[in-house]
Amino acid sequence: MNLLDIRNLSIVLKSETNPILAVDRVSLTMKEGEVRGLVGESGSGKSLLAQAIIGVLDDKWQVDADRFHWRGQDLMRMTLDERKAIISKDVAMIFQEPMACLDPTMTIGEQLAEAVDCDQLSGYFWQKTQQRKEAAVGLLHKVGIKTHKICLDKYPHQLTEALCQRVMIAMALAKRPILLIADEPTAAMESTNQGQIFRLLASLNQLKNMSILLISHDLENVTHWTNTITVMYSGQFVEAGTTKQIFEQPFHPYTRALVDSSPKANMGLPTKSRLSALPGSIPILQHLPIGCRLGPRCPRAQQECVIAPKVRNSHGHQFSCHFSLMGSY
Amino acid sequence: MARDKIYSEEEFPSPLLQLWYNFKQTPVVMIGFSCFLFLTLLAIFSPLLTPYTSVENNLSFLLLPPAWHSDGNVSFLLGTDNLGRDMLSRLIHGTSLTFGLSFIVVLISLVIGVLIGSISALTSGIKSSFLNHFLDVILSIPSLLLAIVIVAILGPGLSNTLWAIIMVLIPQFVHITRNAVTEEFQKDYVLASRLDGASSLRILHYSVFPNIVEKLISQATLAQSAAILDIAALGFLGLGAQIPMPEWGAMLKSGIDLFYIAPWTVYLPGLAILFSVVATNLVGEGMRHALKMRKEA
Amino acid sequence: MSSLLQVSNLSKSFKLSRNWFNQKTFTALEPISFEVQAHQTLAIVGETGSGKSTLAKLLVGAELPTTGNIKLNGQTLQPGNFKQRCQHVRMIFQDSGTTLNPSLTIGQLLDEPLQLNTDLTDEGRNLLIRETLQKVGLLAEHMSFYPHMFSGGQKQRISLARAIILKPQVIILDEALASLDPSLRSQMINLLLDLQQQMGLAYILISHNLGIVRHFSDKIMVLCNGQVMEMGDTLNILNQPKHQYTKKLIMSQRFQLSHR
Repeated sequence: MNLLDIRNLSIVLKSETNPILAVDRVSLTMKEGEVRGLVGESGSGKSLLAQAIIGVLDDKWQVDADRFHWRGQDLMRMTLDERKAIISKDVAMIFQEPMACLDPTMTIGEQLAEAVDCDQLSGYFWQKTQQRKEAAVGLLHKVGIKTHKICLDKYPHQLTEALCQRVMIAMALAKRPILLIADEPTAAMESTNQGQIFRLLASLNQLKNMSILLISHDLENVTHWTNTITVMYSGQFVEAGTTKQIFEQPFHPYTRALVDSSPKANMGLPTKSRLSALPGSIPILQHLPIGCRLGPRCPRAQQECVIAPKVRNSHGHQFSCHFSLMGSY
Repeated sequence: MARDKIYSEEEFPSPLLQLWYNFKQTPVVMIGFSCFLFLTLLAIFSPLLTPYTSVENNLSFLLLPPAWHSDGNVSFLLGTDNLGRDMLSRLIHGTSLTFGLSFIVVLISLVIGVLIGSISALTSGIKSSFLNHFLDVILSIPSLLLAIVIVAILGPGLSNTLWAIIMVLIPQFVHITRNAVTEEFQKDYVLASRLDGASSLRILHYSVFPNIVEKLISQATLAQSAAILDIAALGFLGLGAQIPMPEWGAMLKSGIDLFYIAPWTVYLPGLAILFSVVATNLVGEGMRHALKMRKEA
Repeated sequence: MSSLLQVSNLSKSFKLSRNWFNQKTFTALEPISFEVQAHQTLAIVGETGSGKSTLAKLLVGAELPTTGNIKLNGQTLQPGNFKQRCQHVRMIFQDSGTTLNPSLTIGQLLDEPLQLNTDLTDEGRNLLIRETLQKVGLLAEHMSFYPHMFSGGQKQRISLARAIILKPQVIILDEALASLDPSLRSQMINLLLDLQQQMGLAYILISHNLGIVRHFSDKIMVLCNGQVMEMGDTLNILNQPKHQYTKKLIMSQRFQLSHR
């Protein structure tokens, strides 16, 4: 049974003049214990998609989907409160720039104690404060911070970014979620620290069988740590499949361009030669192309690309392109 | 089916124009803005608009109620006070005193404050610290108290109270300017300008001031509503505008004794003060709101 | 071949405490010397706090060096003399959001260095601005646009236009490519390579992304805590790192030069 099953999710930015389709019929599935990467550049709608799953989008966005199932339960048929109850129990999210996501006026210990789930505390009400503190220390140990005494009394600005991100992960783990959505967790960090955070996420996945949805704009980084990848461009679904399939045999021209722009692929090229790059730039929300949004930039675009392509499946490798590169492998 | 615009032209407004469009969108703020403009026009053109002068005595029409009362006379639209002076004319003249003078006071303290603040931001070390804080002592004294002290030294009068209010408003502008300019200097485009060989004055003019002018204006509207209230309060205490000047606070003072027999001599200046303060605050709020919306968009 | 840029014994220390009795100094950069030729790219690599931004600021003239000097084509560049330096050494900053003044149009932005440093007439300046915009791949109509209307990649191009408009000889890229999306990054690298060919520029690239460094640079310098750990040809150093720090850096980026 799939953990998360989303089919044709669309997010519309409501406005009186003309509503803008920020995310156009994207499908996503996740199994238990899977680490999936969601790759897309800026403007691809990946953060919007994650926020729609969690349910934190405000009223100016309208979310529709054909299917939005969580562990078999149909979330579209429930009321808002029921949906929130289920999602907030099972899904957690961590963000970019952890230092900005923590309250600067409270110490780490206080914030962690606040995040601890009430249901996990047992005992009389005068014992609860102590139990909260112990639970907070336990959470810090889970993310690999052994010297908890030093951390608990400090304020967020006194810690490094990597340590703050670990604290964020600890807070996310407080409710024992089944799915952790990581929205570009390492964007603000150096490469040595990035490795630490990714290793922590991988160990959480292996030890607790926690699924992780890793959102990033860097395809190369993501390929080391994920089992499957979904690629998005400008709000549209581009390609999805196992990491090996995507990296070695990308079917969609956009995925091919992304793979080509990663340093590993460029190692074969002589120094200071031109890199292969897609011309043009990412379309802005006010001027989205009709049909396949890669059309104006795609080297293989033709007349038919003004109609949005359907999703095709080949051995579990899904892609949406009229003129895919499938034949060239 | 012909369309008149095949290519929809998009407007690309400058940041200032964007601010104006955002400002225009809230109706309440636009009402406040038009009231503000109305008051400004009244203040500038008051001698041309009033039916009578502010000191003309009509001894046959003492303490006439406003025209909507049964005893009122339509030639004195808002009634007269105890010396037969027309309330409407006095109120309109009072606009140029209370409202107009508050505007001038804010303008003067803005200019001086920005000057001191910019010099303080451009230099560093003890000189800059000194400039930033040397008027802070005045910040700790409420403007009313300071005006009473100055009046005790120099004698009562409108000009003395104006100096007192200017002095109290200057440190606010000094602080805001210095913080804003220091923040702007951290930005990369100022560094780029400096590397191009621009002098500090040129950097201030082109790179820094256009970006901080909005903060200054919203602080100026806050200061103006405080200045209106201060001028009126000092007039009420008898320390500011002296008789027979038609300043709203002074009118309140002379009307208080007659409150039970002629309440309009009290509530009409009070309403005028309320109206001008609300209009100024609406404009200030609208500007801050528009700034926030522009930052988010 | 005489080198374009020669740096000798450049260092920078900051005074820490305000005490008049014991002055503690913090050395951001130990004395270093290096040379850069035309058509060449030198990459400076290191973690935060290694002194690479200090070095960039010293080269472009934003800070005064404590010791040492910089020579361009044999002429010493005087510290503090911006007008002389800006004709030869220009810089592109990292955060494209704050490098462009939000209340000026692009035309006014590009006009400013020309007004301050050249004697061209209005039409001459206008023509030069148009040519420069076309060189970086923007349209001449963009002159009347404000910076907030551009995307991140286009803003970096405008910064590049501002850098090349005075026809310099050395351009310093202070993490200019780090904030770009991968596809835009490839476009920008292609553009930089073309300009290097056409104008004979020397680039000093400051970055921590070893993939770009490997592709784009001829020589590499590894800094740590203000000291030079290694300096030499890029391929040699990345293939056979001698110093412990360089090895750690390469391992942390899982960077293997050999094909899989």
